[in-house]
Amino acid sequence: MSAEAQPLAPAPRGPLARSRVLPEGDDAGSARTSPMLRALPKLRQRQKGLIGGIIALLALALTVVLAVNIHMANSQYTVVELQNQHLALVQSNQALTEEVQHLQSPQSLSNAAVGLGMVMPAEAAALELSDGEVVGTAEAADSGDRPSSFVAAPAVPGGDAAAPLNVSESVTGAPSGILGAGALNTLIETPSGQNGQETSAGTQDQFSPTELNGGTIPAPSFD
Amino acid sequence: MAAAQKQRAERVLSFRMRIGLTLILVMLLLLGGRLFHVQGLDPAGNAEAAVSERLRSVPLPAHRGDILDSQGRVLATSVNRYDLVVDQAVVEDFERSDEATGLREEVTVRTGIAELAEVLDRSTEELTESIVGESRYSVVARSLTPEQSEQAVDIGLPGLYAEPVSQRSYPSGAVAGSIIGFMGADGPLEGIEAAQDEALSGVDGERIYEVGGDGVRIPVATYEELPAEDGQDVRLTIDQDLQWFAQESIAKKSNQYNAAWGNATVLDLTTGEILAMADSETVDPAEPGETEELFRRPLALTQDFEPGSTGKAITFAMALEEGTLNPTDGFTVDNRYEVDGQTISDATRHPTLDMTAAGIFARSYNTGTVMIGGEIPEETRYDYMRRVGLGEPLDIGLGTEANSVLRPPEEWDARQHLTTQFGQGYTTSVLHSLQAFQTMTNGGVDVPLRLIDAYVDADGTEHPVETEPGERVFSEETSEEMLRMFEGVVDYGTGSEAAVSGYRVGGKSGIAEAAGAGGGFDGHTQSFIGMAPLDDPQYLVSVTVHRPQGYWRDWEVTDTFREIMSYVLSSYDEAPSGAKSEAYDGFEGENQDQPW
Repeated sequence: MSAEAQPLAPAPRGPLARSRVLPEGDDAGSARTSPMLRALPKLRQRQKGLIGGIIALLALALTVVLAVNIHMANSQYTVVELQNQHLALVQSNQALTEEVQHLQSPQSLSNAAVGLGMVMPAEAAALELSDGEVVGTAEAADSGDRPSSFVAAPAVPGGDAAAPLNVSESVTGAPSGILGAGALNTLIETPSGQNGQETSAGTQDQFSPTELNGGTIPAPSFD
Repeated sequence: MAAAQKQRAERVLSFRMRIGLTLILVMLLLLGGRLFHVQGLDPAGNAEAAVSERLRSVPLPAHRGDILDSQGRVLATSVNRYDLVVDQAVVEDFERSDEATGLREEVTVRTGIAELAEVLDRSTEELTESIVGESRYSVVARSLTPEQSEQAVDIGLPGLYAEPVSQRSYPSGAVAGSIIGFMGADGPLEGIEAAQDEALSGVDGERIYEVGGDGVRIPVATYEELPAEDGQDVRLTIDQDLQWFAQESIAKKSNQYNAAWGNATVLDLTTGEILAMADSETVDPAEPGETEELFRRPLALTQDFEPGSTGKAITFAMALEEGTLNPTDGFTVDNRYEVDGQTISDATRHPTLDMTAAGIFARSYNTGTVMIGGEIPEETRYDYMRRVGLGEPLDIGLGTEANSVLRPPEEWDARQHLTTQFGQGYTTSVLHSLQAFQTMTNGGVDVPLRLIDAYVDADGTEHPVETEPGERVFSEETSEEMLRMFEGVVDYGTGSEAAVSGYRVGGKSGIAEAAGAGGGFDGHTQSFIGMAPLDDPQYLVSVTVHRPQGYWRDWEVTDTFREIMSYVLSSYDEAPSGAKSEAYDGFEGENQDQPW
């Protein structure tokens, strides 16, 4: 730019530079008004666009704020709903955990074992693998030696919610002298397993000796 | 002219405008003033009231830690329960939509109560009493499970709501109940629950937020949350299954002799860990009121009594340690022995026998014991007894200390320097006796007993309880000789019923006279403390029955010992060795089968 301007005139510097250059191109009077008239519509057009833009921007901002607000409010409801769901799941999980812990308690396990006809173990012998020697003397378990039940069974979680066993009915018909929860267990749970003779009088499914084949439960069959 | 008119018109306009402007300004000032008054000064405290109306502060209760057994099984935990509460002023007939038809139906209060009665399994009269009235707060039912409370609230009775409460649950009931302890209405009362409350309880947190008119949180408003610090779990050295087995065994034995109480305690003698501490009767932490006060705390801690013949073991161990005795030294033992003007007699009228020290120990003769103990000065004996833990309180972190009364020799009466040699004239708790036996069988090293294994943070980080290094009291040689002497008791002495097939078992029996309330002796304490396997001693089992009824020669606690010891050996995978006994001969000469 500066290279082209140099031959025309000694270039004046500063703000005067422009006003001096302009009159040289056109006639003085008419030339002064026409560029101003030309400039106005341009300016007005630009203003229109600006206002439109500002309104659009405002509308957009409003919409965004509205959308964000609606979304946040809605999410709040979702949060409440999810929290309720979480609580429900936590509670059902806790209820199940309680049930598992109850069933894992030694008393429950012992009762369940007695229910399955299990008895206290007698002395066991061990086989020494290194020299094949039998250590100790093994004895057969006594079929009448059930675990005692001096330690009361823990309360069922949820208390009254579970249907309690009506023990009194079983006791009414029981022989006298039966005391304690252990004896009641024998009344409630029909003994099975080794005490085959007792079972035959009970209400459980009965199996023929051939089905049992010397065992206590029938072997699986294909028919 | 026109210009003047225009000028006047402008002036009028400007005058009116000024009036208008002034008016507007005045009103603006008024409003501004009011705004400042209301918002800035706020004399009525409206802003604060509004904020506090919106502000909700919810406590975040810290989760109370669990109490676990050595295998991590839960002995005590906290569960969510609900109290059903009613605002009686609001209770009235109501409408609800029928589930099946979707139609609105009218429900009377009576029907509502009847439905509630069914859910809660209670009588309608009882419920009507707590629901109908003027009270703004009446508790209808306590500690309902979430399921029950949901069913109850779903009935839709106006004014009925469920308040969450945290409740302690003990899944195994009375198993280890006296050790776990229990909670009262205002906090923990006994046992681990009370003694370890600081670790268990944690620190409550708080959540602060603002809610709108519909009760839903305003998302952009204040929200602060101070998280709760959950309590630590406390893991015990107790084994739940073994504890139950021991409780059953000792209850059976105690019942058999109709005793005042019985106790069976199992100890890992190498680490000092208490594996079981079972009493003949145990409190159920969920219902502590239903058990006699005696059984609400562990008897192994709270009861001290004269140990009797189990105390002879200490006399023999110190004689071996001091070098005044060899297990095979010979003695001539009559059933009466006079020393320092005092007569000591044995429980049975046995003939005069030529015995070894081991034989005297196996048959538990007082006369022979006094011959051996008399060789050691009183001060030295007292010193050894103190070193195995007698005469000072024993603390295992349960809040209650076990007591043992042992007076210094200066305060002993004319007979006490003799009786202390065979376990009378001083008292021990079960734990004190076990501590002494632990020292004798663990190569002579006294390892402090402990009940608390570790504290477990909510995130699973474990903090094992630091164990103090053991203190040597007896030499290893003395300990080994003692083991062979203990074996003699089971082989041919007073504890033959204690033998467990396939294992080398040793022990010491004891019958002590129990002092009555009015002075003098009016009962007995029968006990047996034994250890196995003797090739490498691991476990100590003590069985004690206090004030059994009947004749003393009929009492036998060794069968209970055998039961518990067999269970311990098999459940802890201790392989039977089948090794031969290494007991010393009991009598001098060839004949080892002498009359009692």
